[in-house]
Amino acid sequence: MRPFTYLSAPDVTTALRAIATEPGARLLAGGTNLVDLMRQDVERPTTVVDISTLPLDEVQELPAGGLRIGALVRNSRLAAHPAVRSRYPVLSQAVLSGASGQLRNMATVGGNLLQRTRCPYFADGTAACNKRDPGSGCAAIGGFHRGSAVLGTSEHCIATHPSDMAVALVALDAVVEVQSLRGTRRIPLAELHVLPGDTPDVETALDPDELVTAVELPALPVAASSRYRKVRDRASFAFALVSVAAAMEVADGTVTAARLALGGVAARPWRAHLAERALVGAPATEEDFRRAATAELATAVGRPQNAFKIELARRTVVATLHQLTTEGGAA
Amino acid sequence: MSTPTRTPAGAPSSVGGPGGRIGDDAQRPDGVLKVRGEFAYASDLWMDDMLWGVTLRSPHPYARIRSVDVGPALAVPGVHAVLTSDDVPGEKVYGLELADQPVLALDVVRYQGEPVALVAADHPDTARRAAARIVVDYDVWEPVTDARAALGHPTWNQVHDAPAAVTELSRESAHLHPHGNLVRHLKVRKGDPEPTADVVVVGEYEVGMQDQAFLGPESGLAVPGEDGGVDLYVATQWLHVDQRQICSALAMPPEKVRLTLAGVGGAFGGREDLSMHVHACLLALHTGKPVKMSYNREESFFGHVHRHPATMRYEHGATRDGDLVYVKAEIFLDGGAYASSTPAVVGNAGTMGLGPYVVPNVHVDCYGAYTNNPPCGAMRGFGSVQTAFAYEAQMDALAAELGMDPVELRCRNAMELGSETPTGQVVDSPAPVAELLRRLVAMPLPPEPATGDDVDLRHMPGGVSNTTHGEGVRRGVGYAVAYKNVAFSEGFDDYSTARVRLEVVGGEAVATVHTAAAEVGQGLVTVEQQIARTELGVDAVVVHPKDTAVGSAGSSSASRQTYVTGGAVKAACEAVRGRVLERARGLVGRPAGDLRLDGGKVVSDLEGVALPLADVLGDDAVEETVEWRHRPTQALDPDTGQGFAHVQYAFSAHRAVVDVDTELGLVKVVEMACTQDVGKAINPQAVVGQIQGGTAQGLGLAVMEEILVRDGRVQNPSFTDYLIPTVLDMPPMRIEVLEYADPHAPYGLRGVGEAPNISSGPAVLAAIRQATGLPLRRVPVRPEHLTGT
Ligand SMILES: Cc1cc2nc3c(=O)[nH]c(=O)nc-3n(C[C@H](O)[C@H](O)[C@H](O)COP(=O)(O)OP(=O)(O)OC[C@H]3O[C@@H](n4cnc5c(N)ncnc54)[C@H](O)[C@@H]3O)c2cc1C
Ligand code: SF4
Repeated sequence: MRPFTYLSAPDVTTALRAIATEPGARLLAGGTNLVDLMRQDVERPTTVVDISTLPLDEVQELPAGGLRIGALVRNSRLAAHPAVRSRYPVLSQAVLSGASGQLRNMATVGGNLLQRTRCPYFADGTAACNKRDPGSGCAAIGGFHRGSAVLGTSEHCIATHPSDMAVALVALDAVVEVQSLRGTRRIPLAELHVLPGDTPDVETALDPDELVTAVELPALPVAASSRYRKVRDRASFAFALVSVAAAMEVADGTVTAARLALGGVAARPWRAHLAERALVGAPATEEDFRRAATAELATAVGRPQNAFKIELARRTVVATLHQLTTEGGAA
Repeated sequence: MSTPTRTPAGAPSSVGGPGGRIGDDAQRPDGVLKVRGEFAYASDLWMDDMLWGVTLRSPHPYARIRSVDVGPALAVPGVHAVLTSDDVPGEKVYGLELADQPVLALDVVRYQGEPVALVAADHPDTARRAAARIVVDYDVWEPVTDARAALGHPTWNQVHDAPAAVTELSRESAHLHPHGNLVRHLKVRKGDPEPTADVVVVGEYEVGMQDQAFLGPESGLAVPGEDGGVDLYVATQWLHVDQRQICSALAMPPEKVRLTLAGVGGAFGGREDLSMHVHACLLALHTGKPVKMSYNREESFFGHVHRHPATMRYEHGATRDGDLVYVKAEIFLDGGAYASSTPAVVGNAGTMGLGPYVVPNVHVDCYGAYTNNPPCGAMRGFGSVQTAFAYEAQMDALAAELGMDPVELRCRNAMELGSETPTGQVVDSPAPVAELLRRLVAMPLPPEPATGDDVDLRHMPGGVSNTTHGEGVRRGVGYAVAYKNVAFSEGFDDYSTARVRLEVVGGEAVATVHTAAAEVGQGLVTVEQQIARTELGVDAVVVHPKDTAVGSAGSSSASRQTYVTGGAVKAACEAVRGRVLERARGLVGRPAGDLRLDGGKVVSDLEGVALPLADVLGDDAVEETVEWRHRPTQALDPDTGQGFAHVQYAFSAHRAVVDVDTELGLVKVVEMACTQDVGKAINPQAVVGQIQGGTAQGLGLAVMEEILVRDGRVQNPSFTDYLIPTVLDMPPMRIEVLEYADPHAPYGLRGVGEAPNISSGPAVLAAIRQATGLPLRRVPVRPEHLTGT
């Protein structure tokens, strides 16, 4: 690890000032991702701004019926929150499927959203990686890419975003509140992460001087009947090969509302609008679920090692929706 | 006669305790400390004025070093030394069996992670930063990454990936070592060279590279001695073989290179080769200060050898009734850049590679090759793990072809006492292969998978990831048997040394046992105590720290320490007891043959005379040092691979029950059952621990563990990306331990540690095959292999 200056921010303004004035400053929340990357010499901050004690750690009811979740709410608290469990079970399940109990106790909502890719070449300083070192090439294409993306990739990067929580949030129409010295703005979560295109080093719509302060969930009745499914190589403590966040309402055998998102398949938590459109108004049968999944994945591009993810994603969508029709109700 | 089996439930757990004798459950002294986080591992070693050493490693799998400039590193404040191969005073290469591995890179690096230079500094980060400033100019070469290509064999195996294109290599780079790319070729030939059979099954198999995944990374502390020598405290498996190699690199006699075992956090073969040993000594001798080196997890993946990946082709021929007629096998083991223990692994894979079955006609070729992949060497199961996946898959395929029950086919061909092995050796101790299987079949099966409301996600494939509630889930059951040589084979002079002392301290009789046998977590220190208590009839037994002040004990590997060091401790105790009873004879007035030691007293069974040891010994200590050998073995015939090469065999069998989510390709191992013959369970609790641990490690290889190597580069050097089973992946176990004494071994015991690691994985594979109907030729099995996507 390289030497750096450590600053424990006593208030939000101090933190904002530090990131506005120093290009090499990095925010430290739970540190479970940032510190690893510093050890691997991928992140080389000149100043580490510790925001973990800022008062952004509350879950509040919104007047219109939604929830406001502070950026420093720990993952374990979020998953256990009674309002989340009853009104947005998919979020609780997604968070609990990630990492381990110890990590979730440290990890925060903001840090989870902004964690970096798990592409092995990104963390390997000797490999070509456009995300880490723009213009150097992409070792994953033609190299080891079993875990890589199948949707929204470019010839410059095929990395995935690893968060489970974000997949549930994007399905729930979450909005991110960000602050800088210039003011406050709100970004739909679906627009927070950007696809690689020819600048894979640009991962989010945030400006360098911006701090995520909260995530807001709208009131969303359909979310009471929602599920998260995650397919991975072992039963705990592993990232998703493919995951699905789904919420659905069915009346008289017809889908009346649907929210669907995919994880492990793209550089962003992938909101499946095409599938949702195909679902609403259609009969709630496995055949129709499969048609909807196929519509969403029509543009997917598989490579030799990760092509299996496309069919795996289809099957996981069908299985999750099928479960929602047979069980209904909240978990 | 009492039943020869034990179950964990049936074994007494309260008797014995710390004072246990042979056959009692003895509590390990390190157990509670480890669970509480209080055990001092090698990485906890500390001296106030010590320096930290770090290693600069090659980023390339194959390259020539044009130049190394250490100047910029030396200029970093706090740096005390920067060393390269020029600073190695003695032999510049070392190795367990063949000295071919540079202490620090010479002109060519042959694998990613090969050590190039060393730095010692006052802080680990200073040392690391300085190492990063060393300028190495590499001429990068195309690596050789396929074992068969390295040996010039056609690439016939297409398991999942298309074969790597064979690149045009210059002659210079194609020969990784002056003696060529072949480390060893073992031929086993027996019976009819051109046999024919009614039924023939052919299969090609591939096993990925497994890591030992020990939790305590390579660590040690070297302290310069006043005599110009060095004391090294290190986590290792065999102090004396380390000492021999360090002496040669340092050009020092053994009395100047003293080793003491530091707390070992697991080994599994990964600590048989040197890692930081010579490096820390060099730095300490150069700086005149103690130097600590401790790898982090990522470096650890480059700091030790791994299990050889294997590609295998098997052909089994049998009569219509299911009698094996012949087996032909071709086995390729990728040894990576340096020889390490590849020759011995080839020996095991070749001689054990047909499993515990009687085969009249045999034709086996087993090759170990050099490539530019990470060096591979010893790992628990040592050549038998890879081949067991192949021979057991073949037995199942043959059973299917014959329409026979797979267990019946195995029992029909099972080795037993008096059978001849494929290498022409007569099995001269119990070999209850068929009984092990029959006992498994007799065990109750776990309940059928739950459905609907009764589902507990933790018991489903995918676990709490909520992937299935029973839909798409199919159950499978599979069996496999392990066959493993115990101790060192092929004529190796395999011995251990024990020094035992008996004295009276503060009125109490105390025995001290001093061996150099490494306690690596297997529970050897308890075994040493149990033997001394049993033989000397005392309660207090002190186990001396393990060091090179006593003779070699050989390696804590090959399931051999309880046998060989146990045998040495027993022999030394007998020698001590003989002398004590001889002294007592005069005092008691009975022949020594009528006397024994018990409860700290001399006892005569005939007259019950009890004489406290204090009266016999006074202030004297009786001490004996014994070098003990098992029966000698012989080298294999170079043309036929026949000969008395192995002193003992270990057998275990597993039954695996799995549920497979066939939609998503997820496997839940529902239950593992294991039967193993251990001859005599010295510490039954530790035997069960070995079986559980070995089972978990085999399960890991079957469904998740693999070091992914591409173009000679390791892709997943972390526990985030190299997955090992967690408590949620490891199911409950049923265990039955059989005790059929081996008349040639001390107490009749049989080595325990490796066998369960061998039979577990193939049983899981067999169960998954049964559930899915897929051939599954490659391990580990991943979701995409099961969904066909
Ligand atoms: C072994 C392991 C397994 C894991 N498995 C999973 C898994 O299965 N699923 C999963 O989803 N995740 C997994 N994770 C990742 C884990 O969820 C993240 O590391 C964690 O959520 C990051 O949160 P943090 O608060 O610790 O972030 P930090 O490490 O503190 O920060 C991460 C990044 O976010 C930035 N940041 C933090 N807070 C803010 C803010 N408020 N505004 C702007 N920028 C900010 C930081 O500057 C940094 O760049 C795993 C991690 C590990 C180590
Ligand atoms: S996929 Fe992206 S992160 Fe991975 S190597 Fe390519 S550019 Fe880097």
